Amino acid sequence: MFVLLNHLQRLRRDTPRAPDRRRGSLAVRHVDAGSCNGCEHELTAATNPFYDLQQYGLNIVASPRHADVLLITGAITTRMAGPLRTAYESMPEPRLVAALGDCALGCNLLGDQAELAGPLETILPVDLRIPGCPPTPKAIAEALTAALHRPSSSGHSSGLIR
Amino acid sequence: MSTPHSASGHMPGAAEITAVPAGAWRQACLDANARGERFGGLFARRSASGPAQLRAVFSTPGSERLITCDATERTVETIVDTIPAAGWDEREAHDLHGINFTGHEPLRPLLDHHAPLAAWTVPTVGDDVHQVAVGPIHAGVIESGHFRFHVVGELILHLDVRLFYKRRGLETAATGRSLGEGIAYAQRACAACAVTNTVAYAQACEAALGLEPDDHLRRARTVLLELERVYNHLNDISAICAGVGFAAGVMAYAALKERAQRLNERLAWHRFLFDTVAVGRSAISLDSREAADARRELAAIRREHEAVWRQLGFVTSLQQRLEGVAALSAADAERFGAVGPAARASGLPHDHRLHSPRLHYGGFTAAVSDVASGDVAARTNQRALELRQSLELLDELLTRPLEHGTVRRRGGETRTAVGRVESPRGVTVCVIEREGDRLGALHLRTGSYANWPVLAHTVVGELMPDFPLINKSFELCYACTDR
Repeated sequence: MFVLLNHLQRLRRDTPRAPDRRRGSLAVRHVDAGSCNGCEHELTAATNPFYDLQQYGLNIVASPRHADVLLITGAITTRMAGPLRTAYESMPEPRLVAALGDCALGCNLLGDQAELAGPLETILPVDLRIPGCPPTPKAIAEALTAALHRPSSSGHSSGLIR
Repeated sequence: MSTPHSASGHMPGAAEITAVPAGAWRQACLDANARGERFGGLFARRSASGPAQLRAVFSTPGSERLITCDATERTVETIVDTIPAAGWDEREAHDLHGINFTGHEPLRPLLDHHAPLAAWTVPTVGDDVHQVAVGPIHAGVIESGHFRFHVVGELILHLDVRLFYKRRGLETAATGRSLGEGIAYAQRACAACAVTNTVAYAQACEAALGLEPDDHLRRARTVLLELERVYNHLNDISAICAGVGFAAGVMAYAALKERAQRLNERLAWHRFLFDTVAVGRSAISLDSREAADARRELAAIRREHEAVWRQLGFVTSLQQRLEGVAALSAADAERFGAVGPAARASGLPHDHRLHSPRLHYGGFTAAVSDVASGDVAARTNQRALELRQSLELLDELLTRPLEHGTVRRRGGETRTAVGRVESPRGVTVCVIEREGDRLGALHLRTGSYANWPVLAHTVVGELMPDFPLINKSFELCYACTDR
């Protein structure tokens, strides 16, 4: 155990850190609305010792009720459109919606139209777009840290900085 | 009754067709099963004119058989009493194509999400019995799916798994595309099995076209498949540590997985190795410098894995949480058609890499531990056992550069063919039916699809708080089950 912790400490020491550590925090709730699991792997990877999202005040939380950002992956299937809306409606204001990956953005989308509910834009107001198939953990970390300091779609400061 | 019209037994993957009337469906399937042919999936497809058509895949190491029938009255007899592994397949064929399987009673809805609760769950009654509904949205970064636990206190009496929330209709959308275009749909079914699914698809197409890969192509695909297995197994060990809240193990293996995926990106420009497989050619080559670089990095990953793995062995609080949890007996694994590391951890020596003439697995032996106890500990150890094997295999495969491979004509063309590849989660079966140079039908039955019902069986009698751990020890994909 001691050796293992030492190993992790060394790993962390050897990984270069981004110099910019502004204050603030965002609580992120993820919803998979019909992905290929690539975006989930990469979002999880963004919390590994190489990227360590938590150090920027970005935390993935268990409930939409605790969340500032709803981070949505995948083509929006007809079967997930309902649960997705429920998750959005249970979030406190102010809230941001982030589309993670090309499927959520409606690009190069594959599937049977009968099974898909339409692009995320037509279902929820999208504030933040993170392209990629899937976006790399680096791209995810950068986009989310940038979101800490961006105004909301209504033009006002997002009011999410605490 | 049996009319094999493409009996080219020399072309691996070309399917022998056994066309039967609906009344003989059950017997034809049971006969194949009795001959020792292994069940590999059952599905229905729409036909432009006439009734829905049923297909069942059976195989021996060297041959594929497709039993087909027209479901004229939309009714056939079930095979699930003899082949329980067909349970989900029959339920899916019913929900998608309205086919009734007499004897499969009750035929519970699987994909039909409009069915009332009582229709798709198994009734459990007794003092203090209650249901706990979880999902489709989960607390962590996890794919969407719904679990309905029937419990007494913390004890699980039964689990109904309702997936298919992520159903994108990929197989339907692929129908009518050219064989070359179709591979994108197989790839998009699942990122973590992208190589497996595309190789299975490419093999099926090549078998149908009478083509055989040359040695370069075999080697390139084998390298890609093993790179996929390495990052997946590293991911699974990390996930199992997460299942018991052992953060140091989670992070150590997450870091190892990251190294493996960065290597993927260096070699193939993509962390999940997307677009590295194509029908009839290889889409990747490595010169001797790149191959040597890959070997060095894989050797470093292996050293670090072995150091961390050794440390995990000393953490008794971790080990004790894994031992004896959710043991799957060899008999049940066989009966329910378990595949992959989960089956091997229960002592079954099934590994399709042993029977893959279209790949480069000469001299391969399935890794089965002496203590294949079938519990979470065994499934965890199985990953480590297979990691070592895959890393050794890659080390040998990469001693030479990977040149651009191609295919050569070997046999005649057939309409229907089967691709079969061992994914990190077990054997994946891809069936294609051609209509000229277009896809008439595509069916993908992945290792995850085979193992979901096995998981549901395995959790009975376990504690509900252990479910995340048990689930992680199988680490099945939702995406390539839902398709």
